Amino acid sequence: MPRDLISKAWDFPAVPGTKAVASADEDSITMAVEAGLDCLVGIDPKSIDGLYYATTTQVYTEKDSASLIATVLDMREDIITTDFTDSLKAGTTAVCRAVDTIKANKDIKSILILAADTRKPEPSTMWEFGFADGAAALLVAEGDVLPVSIEDYYSISANSTGPWKRTEKDSFIRTFEVKVDARIYSENITKVMSELLKRNNLQPGDIGAAAYYYNNPRLHGRIAKMMKFAGGVAQNSVFFQLGDLGTPMSFILLISALRRPKPDAKVILAGFGDGADAILLQVRDRAMLKDVNKNRMGVSAHQKSMITLNNYDWYLENKELLEKDRYSRKSSAVIHWREAPSLYKMYGIKCTNCGTIQYPQQFRSCYKCRADDQFEPVKLSLKGTIFTYTLDHLVGGNYYDTPVPRCVIDLDGGGRILLNMTEIEKPQENVQIGMRVELVFRKQHESADFVNYYWSCRPERGRK
Amino acid sequence: MKVPILSIIIGVVDQKEVENKGGIKMVKKGIANQVAIIGCDMTKYGELWDKSQYDLLFEAVQGATKDAGIVKDDIDAAWCGIFYYFTGMSGATVEDMLRLDGKPVTRTENYCASGMDAFRNACFGVASGAYDVVLACGVEKLMDEGSSGLPGFKIFGHPVLPIPSAPAMFSMAATRSFHEYGWNKEDLARVAVKNHDNGSYHPKAHFRSKITIDQALRAPMIADPLGRFDCCAMSDGSAALILTRVEDAPSYAHGDDYIVVKANAISCYTNTPWYVPQGAVGCDFTHFPATEKAAAAAYKEAGITDPRKEIDLAEVHDCFTITELLNCQDLQFCDRGQAAEELKNGTFNWDGETAVNPSGGLKSFGHPIGSTGCRMLTEVTKHLQNRAEGRQVPDAKIGLGHNLGGAFSVCSVSILGQAK
Repeated sequence: MPRDLISKAWDFPAVPGTKAVASADEDSITMAVEAGLDCLVGIDPKSIDGLYYATTTQVYTEKDSASLIATVLDMREDIITTDFTDSLKAGTTAVCRAVDTIKANKDIKSILILAADTRKPEPSTMWEFGFADGAAALLVAEGDVLPVSIEDYYSISANSTGPWKRTEKDSFIRTFEVKVDARIYSENITKVMSELLKRNNLQPGDIGAAAYYYNNPRLHGRIAKMMKFAGGVAQNSVFFQLGDLGTPMSFILLISALRRPKPDAKVILAGFGDGADAILLQVRDRAMLKDVNKNRMGVSAHQKSMITLNNYDWYLENKELLEKDRYSRKSSAVIHWREAPSLYKMYGIKCTNCGTIQYPQQFRSCYKCRADDQFEPVKLSLKGTIFTYTLDHLVGGNYYDTPVPRCVIDLDGGGRILLNMTEIEKPQENVQIGMRVELVFRKQHESADFVNYYWSCRPERGRK
Repeated sequence: MKVPILSIIIGVVDQKEVENKGGIKMVKKGIANQVAIIGCDMTKYGELWDKSQYDLLFEAVQGATKDAGIVKDDIDAAWCGIFYYFTGMSGATVEDMLRLDGKPVTRTENYCASGMDAFRNACFGVASGAYDVVLACGVEKLMDEGSSGLPGFKIFGHPVLPIPSAPAMFSMAATRSFHEYGWNKEDLARVAVKNHDNGSYHPKAHFRSKITIDQALRAPMIADPLGRFDCCAMSDGSAALILTRVEDAPSYAHGDDYIVVKANAISCYTNTPWYVPQGAVGCDFTHFPATEKAAAAAYKEAGITDPRKEIDLAEVHDCFTITELLNCQDLQFCDRGQAAEELKNGTFNWDGETAVNPSGGLKSFGHPIGSTGCRMLTEVTKHLQNRAEGRQVPDAKIGLGHNLGGAFSVCSVSILGQAK
């Protein structure tokens, strides 16, 4: 979203750059899933022993999100899942705790850490230029050969003057005095990084890259000076183009920094929020790191694949800031639980008699050879090709957010499925038979007062 | 020229050919030529704001009994097609509408074939000898739910698996048929133009204005590529038929000029054709397996070998223009891929080789779902009795009614003929 849309909407002074805004059918959970899918390319999700999920924008205040995400990512049942929440440093804290867990528990050798936030600023405030949406994933594992190693971490705890958001009472983030907030932030983030250097007998000049959270570009530069980092060490690519992403921000700065690392570079990852964490990393194997980057979309390919918003109203609608009727339909939490393999993990079934792959799993008799009960579960591809489609202007007897592209898709490797398409510009011109699509996990509706998640499709963006 | 059908190859490996013994079986005896229609009627169709479902069914049944020369107490049992719960649940609501005083009444629901399935079950009632005179009827009161598309999608189906709107389901067939057969929106528009032209002559039709191809092409989109004139409207209406065994038929009002039921067939396929690329017949969105199966079974029962020549008129389910085109192929009125060309050449016109929807079809009548099958068979009966005033298909001897409902899921085909 170009920031000048906000300037124009409220007659504010022009602010340069863009910020990342999630679609209406995305939330922190779906974005975490997307980051997880990109991270796990070429890695068996069943080989990972835990999932830590960090966010300040929980979809549920009572209900573990990590377990839902682990289900969608098709991870094992005998794993540890935990939500780290309520602080902007939840992401870095999750990394520290993952290190502790792996060190302390011989059965846990790897933990996937997902950080996601969909930050909703109050309209017509300066927050609106900053707050943005994003997600990132780090896979922390024990091993002798690693692309990057975690050497040490150091944390401090500090009560702050803001910002905050009260449970239930606040729709938007509040603060008391941004100048005091800035002072506390500066003191904490410099203290935690300085202590980390001291503990490891390092000088600022020894650091190749520093990825620390910030919400103000000017303040970011001041921190770099105070820390005496060399030019180009403090990573500052994110705010201008993506905005203040909250918990995933420091991860995204780190992932950008590791795109082209110096050999044996020492890297700092730091988060802030009522205290601070600083983590010391060391690049170990550049070739391995190059491979990691090659097979994943990472920051740059995701940035390139984004659609540019061209009006502010669309943004208001996406953030559900406009009060309007929304599509509601039958809802059943029990069906989501019972059919989790089909609905969340995207499993189909394969007929052992005739080999036909089919979806969803509820069928007991093969549509092809009509054999009864001769099925085995099979994981379906998250990519496919459109066989036929329509643009539906009539949704459940109403006209909500239409037209909805309904796409019959032949999945790569077998299975035919019907999915709605999301994030398509000018569908009348751009949806076609034969078009390549990828599956994305999205909110479908919120009937019965819970979030009904399922898969949609969108034009292929390059996820492997 | 016949267009070759592209076979669709899905990325599935290791497929063994498996013998298929499913499908509709032909029975030894059947009930062909045993049941007679001795009376029928339909209400005016339209946005009947000042009438309830009670008024509609009452008026249709009163018309049908009067046509047969009987009173309602002569009816032994009734089957009533009702699709929506808000029109009425169970035979008891039909009892409330008609006051048959405790007689056996069954509500039938089978998507858009609900009405024709009521007729089929009523035929069994008299053919079996269980009853002497039965009522087959249907009613639907859609307008009380508002006029913007079929209501109720909020309460049935799956919580998240996509449920396209009815026009969306059929438009996916339009998209694919455009791709396979080279048809375009103008080919669809010709169906609307023909049916609205026919409907302009029918006093009971909802819409009685002729339209042009240009009007159809300029209409707002409902489900791409289907625009407003490609879709049938929401409507209210009711129709009813009185049945008895053929040997008893001459003693009623029409004497020897009764109508014989030559065949009834129903075929059910999946609710979700988008998951089923290849079955015994297969859903490739360019033909409807349910129509093919029901038609084949009905033709066999009625002894029809050349439907295009032998069927004089057909009330074909034209919920959407694409539905009529594809159904004309599946009903064997022409080869696959040829329906658009045949339509253009006048084959399906009111005075063409096979008159398709001489009433104006769902396009002109709208689609009060539970009633439509009985409305079609009432229309066919009137043509066969040479009393379709102002719209009579010349020399109509054999006629067909056809419904296709759900996501191409349920098809009914009934064939009627003159008594002779």
